[in-house]
Amino acid sequence: MRPTVLQFDRITLPEETEALRVEVRQFLQDNAEHLSRPNSDFTTGHDPAFSRKLGQRGWIGMTWPKRYGGGERSFFDRYVVTEELLAAGAPVSAHWIADRQSGNLILSVGSEAQRERYLPPIARGESYFSIGMSEPNSGSDLASVRTRAERVEGGWLINGTKLWSTDAHRNHFMIALVRTEPPSDNRHAGLSQIIIDLREDGAVIRPIRNMAGGEDFNEVVFEDVLVPEDRVVGEPGNGWQQVTGELAYERSGPERFLSAFRVFVELVRVAAERGDPALEAAVGRLAAHVATLRRMSISVAGMLEQGKSPEVEAALVKAVGNDFEKLLPEVARLATDDAIAAMPRLDGFREALADTLLLSPSFTIRGGTREILRGVIARGLGLR
Amino acid sequence: MSDSMLTDAAGRIFADLCDKALLDAAERGEFPAALWRALEGNGFHQLAMPDSGGTLADAFALIGLGGRWGVPVPLAEVLLANRWIGGSDRLATIGQVLDGRIVEAPWGRRADLVLGLDADRSAYVLVARDREAGAPLESGRNMAGEARDALAIPAGAEWVTLTEPAHAYLALARAVAMAGCLGRILDLSLQYANEREQFGRPIARFQAIQHNLAVMAGEVAAAGRAADAAVDALDGDRFELEVAVAKARVGEAAGVVAEIAHQVHGAMGYTHEHQLHHFTRRVWAWRDEYGNETYWQRRLGRHLIRTGADGLWPLLATRG
Repeated sequence: MRPTVLQFDRITLPEETEALRVEVRQFLQDNAEHLSRPNSDFTTGHDPAFSRKLGQRGWIGMTWPKRYGGGERSFFDRYVVTEELLAAGAPVSAHWIADRQSGNLILSVGSEAQRERYLPPIARGESYFSIGMSEPNSGSDLASVRTRAERVEGGWLINGTKLWSTDAHRNHFMIALVRTEPPSDNRHAGLSQIIIDLREDGAVIRPIRNMAGGEDFNEVVFEDVLVPEDRVVGEPGNGWQQVTGELAYERSGPERFLSAFRVFVELVRVAAERGDPALEAAVGRLAAHVATLRRMSISVAGMLEQGKSPEVEAALVKAVGNDFEKLLPEVARLATDDAIAAMPRLDGFREALADTLLLSPSFTIRGGTREILRGVIARGLGLR
Repeated sequence: MSDSMLTDAAGRIFADLCDKALLDAAERGEFPAALWRALEGNGFHQLAMPDSGGTLADAFALIGLGGRWGVPVPLAEVLLANRWIGGSDRLATIGQVLDGRIVEAPWGRRADLVLGLDADRSAYVLVARDREAGAPLESGRNMAGEARDALAIPAGAEWVTLTEPAHAYLALARAVAMAGCLGRILDLSLQYANEREQFGRPIARFQAIQHNLAVMAGEVAAAGRAADAAVDALDGDRFELEVAVAKARVGEAAGVVAEIAHQVHGAMGYTHEHQLHHFTRRVWAWRDEYGNETYWQRRLGRHLIRTGADGLWPLLATRG
């Protein structure tokens, strides 16, 4: 009766995921020295030592085949690990993109040699990937990318600029969406995905300071950068289909609604100090949102587990989740008052609030803007 | 009965009988007798009874479907009243006891049996009405035009203790019905946007409309998932927490969805002639019945605050 796009299945996580959850919590407790960040944003904590520890536990590349270093575990297992890490504010940025989408892309459309070469180090938590999609003149209109890769003797010659590549200055590889054929009437044709070795290939990487003071994203310039033949992932010319296929992985995870979660935790601490009706209502309101978004995200994990590619549902989770990430600090702020602001014990609340608010503009921009997501949903509803 | 058999059978009845004319008539005070007979004939009114062959979850599925169609009979009250009093073929409804009267009883005027819940909904008083004799009653209605009646409690009426969480069941019934109703409002809005032409094309082609409908779809999806989760928690020890999540989240969605639906429908949706208001007025009414968002947010919030900051995530990270 409901339009198919709104089918979010009722899922109960398998019992074994709960044993895993206990393991993850114990691990976090044992590695508390890595948990000092005031926010739970997935892009702000780059900690290779922590990523390697996760790799040792088998918590990166969990769904991949064992022969590539994976764990052959379910998307539910992966879901549980990722949400536990984010809720605890763990520094996951180093391996996040490699684990979430680059590895999956290589696994699904990469060559056997690429799988053997790239996947095991990712799963060990030693090899990190950045996204190379946006450009100075290509943001939401991704198909307009102008970075070119030209087939030459010995490989591909790349010219152009990628922008907003998170952690490109710290990571090992980028998968860049490039034009391998001249533009034609079909603007989605002639695009390809190419692996760039960020440390060896000669790309010029310049960190860009963001308004929160961090240096996480970058400009990456390619001037006659030559990469070997075997770096193209999938079929040359098939880049657009591959990129859109990644989106179900990219858009539905718990990082799309937990970025502001530390503020919520601190708000509960405030409320425990001084209960009042406004604080109670704020805490309850936020909890109702988190509980519901989790379930929607798990429904999408269930569809991934069934081998489906739920792009519209994923876009919907991200759209609703990102709006909630922005609502959370506002609700928390307005539920408190000057008296609370003056209590030194509650410094943690103020710090988390300020930090998260400064990061918050990125929530509804990265990984597909709110406006792009609404367009995807509208298409799913048959409106365009 | 399997979920889909139940909803298929009930869905056919609602689709056949629950049209705009029926909703209008009910609002004028005419009880939809044919619809009631069809439901009764299928045994739906006793679906929540322990030996009905159905489950409480089936009953909530029926209530959700009823919400989708705006069925103008007190489905939730009939189902739960029959469960608590042990079944009756007469029409039973449920109201609240206030100052010695039962108030807010859906279709009290037409009911033979009226349960009045006490203030903390842990007990009820049962009033058998003699409708033929024209037992006195004060007719009322909620903002959706649904009958909400008041009647006196006869002297000597006895209180019966409830072992089930009546308030949570009824709040969940409203949440589930709202979720169904919100799905209908989305469908109506999608249909209207595709049919209505301005500037030479369907308004669905305009990005502003598309984005509003996308927001609506997100809220409808969230409402549905929240309501389903609370139904799934019926047998667990977290049930009342999940009802709080559902009633708070669905209620929040209701306001957003109704607002956008009317904006998309323009002046047409503001007319009595169009059916949209039957559904938007219902969600506006139901979000306030059995505890509005703030009520359930505070209950949930108090529980979380007692558990403490370090217990927040473990409490939210459930399996189901």
